[in-house]
Amino acid sequence: MEAVAETQSVYRQAFDAGDGGRPAWLAPLRRRAIEAFEARGLPGPKQEPWRKTPLAPLTGQSFPVADGGGSVSPELARRVGELAGEAHLLVFVDGTLDTGLSNLGEPGRGLTVVPLSEYGDDAPAAVTDRLGSGAPIAEQPFAALNTAFFRDGAFVHVARGQAVARPVVVVHVDTGEADDRAVYPRVLVHAEPAAEVQFIEHFIGADGANTLTAPVTEVIADDGAIVTGYRLQEAGDGDLHVGTVHVAAARDAQVALHAFATGARLARTDVHADINGPGADVTLNGLYLTRGRQFCDFHTWVNHNAEHGTSHQLFKGVLQGRSETVFDGVVRVAEGAQKTDAQQQNRNLLLDKLALAHSNPRLEIYADDVKCAHGSTVGELDDEALFYLRSRGIGPADARAMLTLAYASEMLQPIRLQAVHDHVRGRLLEWLPGDETVRSVI
Amino acid sequence: MALLEIRNLHASVDGTEILKGIDLDIEPGKVHAIMGPNGSGKSTLSKVLAGDERYEVTAGEIRYRGRNLLELAPEERAREGIFLGFQYPVEIPGVSNTYFLKAALNAIRKYRGQEELDAMEFLQLIRERAKTVKLDESLLQRPVNEGFSGGEKKRNEVFQLAVLEPMLAILDETDSGLDIDALRTVADGVNAMRDDERGFLVITHYQRLLEHIVPDTVHVLVNGRIVQTGGKELAEELERSGYALFDDEAA
Repeated sequence: MEAVAETQSVYRQAFDAGDGGRPAWLAPLRRRAIEAFEARGLPGPKQEPWRKTPLAPLTGQSFPVADGGGSVSPELARRVGELAGEAHLLVFVDGTLDTGLSNLGEPGRGLTVVPLSEYGDDAPAAVTDRLGSGAPIAEQPFAALNTAFFRDGAFVHVARGQAVARPVVVVHVDTGEADDRAVYPRVLVHAEPAAEVQFIEHFIGADGANTLTAPVTEVIADDGAIVTGYRLQEAGDGDLHVGTVHVAAARDAQVALHAFATGARLARTDVHADINGPGADVTLNGLYLTRGRQFCDFHTWVNHNAEHGTSHQLFKGVLQGRSETVFDGVVRVAEGAQKTDAQQQNRNLLLDKLALAHSNPRLEIYADDVKCAHGSTVGELDDEALFYLRSRGIGPADARAMLTLAYASEMLQPIRLQAVHDHVRGRLLEWLPGDETVRSVI
Repeated sequence: MALLEIRNLHASVDGTEILKGIDLDIEPGKVHAIMGPNGSGKSTLSKVLAGDERYEVTAGEIRYRGRNLLELAPEERAREGIFLGFQYPVEIPGVSNTYFLKAALNAIRKYRGQEELDAMEFLQLIRERAKTVKLDESLLQRPVNEGFSGGEKKRNEVFQLAVLEPMLAILDETDSGLDIDALRTVADGVNAMRDDERGFLVITHYQRLLEHIVPDTVHVLVNGRIVQTGGKELAEELERSGYALFDDEAA
């Protein structure tokens, strides 16, 4: 695989030829990241976590960093506003801040929402101490590349005891100008003790662009903090989306992440969640809808490092056409993490014969007083239920759509933000097979 | 013209013949009951009439209002006015009862060239029909049959019957699992729908239901064949003597 060796050196060369990892406060972190990347190399098909991911589109060419600030089509601009509403809004276009589309409004009490670029060469310790503290640069080469190359990002911080009512929305837009380029979106969310915040990350982009989008999101929840994140991956149809999310939950913290994936040609999201304090609770929910020849992959690692922790994972997939999906989840309960309660479920619904869902939930338990359960299913629509609906006059396409909607709707129930709920539901309805009858009734 | 004519109907499931030559006519406005022991083919007959594709018709014909029923898909049969009350109503998590019925009713109305009901008209209709079968209104918003008790499920079937107003209603063991109060309610719901046009095929294992829904004709189905046909007194006779007599005959 000479191409791989060449590709590797291309990223390193680009780094060395660049401006030395500016701004200055980031230079040491960036250097560590490119060295970690260089040591690890791009993923190969024989490496367990990458076995099922089609690597050729990711490693067969190199992706120089996008220039940033491509021109946003009216259609994409409209979509930028879809979830904004009353929210704090930061918009990044091809990896750089778009001040025109962003709208920070009145800052809430105790809330900081800042583009990292605003700090220039000197960032406060609140940022420098935490940025990069979670992202697994040694294991995830694309998280390393992100750290080495990201142009800008969002820093969201909530002060001790403050509850922020309005959600923070970060939209990442890839334009056609990022074709054959890489975009590295970056977000750090830090909730101090007993603080509460909700954030939305929305990935959208122009269709037809072969862009490597490799975002990194780090979430740090201090003691008793409550953080709810929504991650909507609705990238353009040529996009290669390789995302990393890292969650660190301290004592009694509650972190929930709801991921919805419908876009991209190839999408892979790695979620690492560390339960570091006793009594912390982590929820990871995912809904992926694929069709055509899309590939969508969720890998999760939930590490119970403290006792009395709870984690709940429910990932559901619905597949049409010849699409292929992967769910691969590891729950690891460390020695001493007694009274852990960890649940992990993956369910897949195949709507077409040629669709293919892989499911691999795993438990690694090194403590003896824990409650852990996992399960996975891959199935088709229930014949008996289809017949029941048809026997009431509902046509086969609508019956299938109705049952599919019912299946996926479970993932909408926990969404507490009405705008997100309606948006995801709309996206789901658009995506469903069947004619108009079902949509008109709902 | 007969509402339903069944001639020499043979049907199999997974290669095993269950119905072995059924002949049956139902005239408009009549209630026919089919009684028989477990495994005699009662449910198979109901599923074949509703168009369940897991049952294969190997011989014979079924005409519904003069049309070849076997050519029609399940939803077309429903839109033409056939309703099957399921012995085991299916739970559909995530689909509310109201939404489900609205989709069904509108599909049927559209097929018949009628205007779809608007939200208000529809709500009025289902509230009124829910009352006639004493269906708790809270069940209307719940997912179809999910977490319903056995009695609630059967009541829900009769509620759907009352909303969809079919020409031919097939009730497959709607009485099983019902206590006497629920049985009366279900029977009252059915009786309220009897008129000169609508036909009923009531399938039951027990004579009890037929005290409340009094049939015009009773058929005894044993081992895939109708072995005797008579008036409502036949049901009473069966209650006393059981099916043993017919088992011999069928063998």
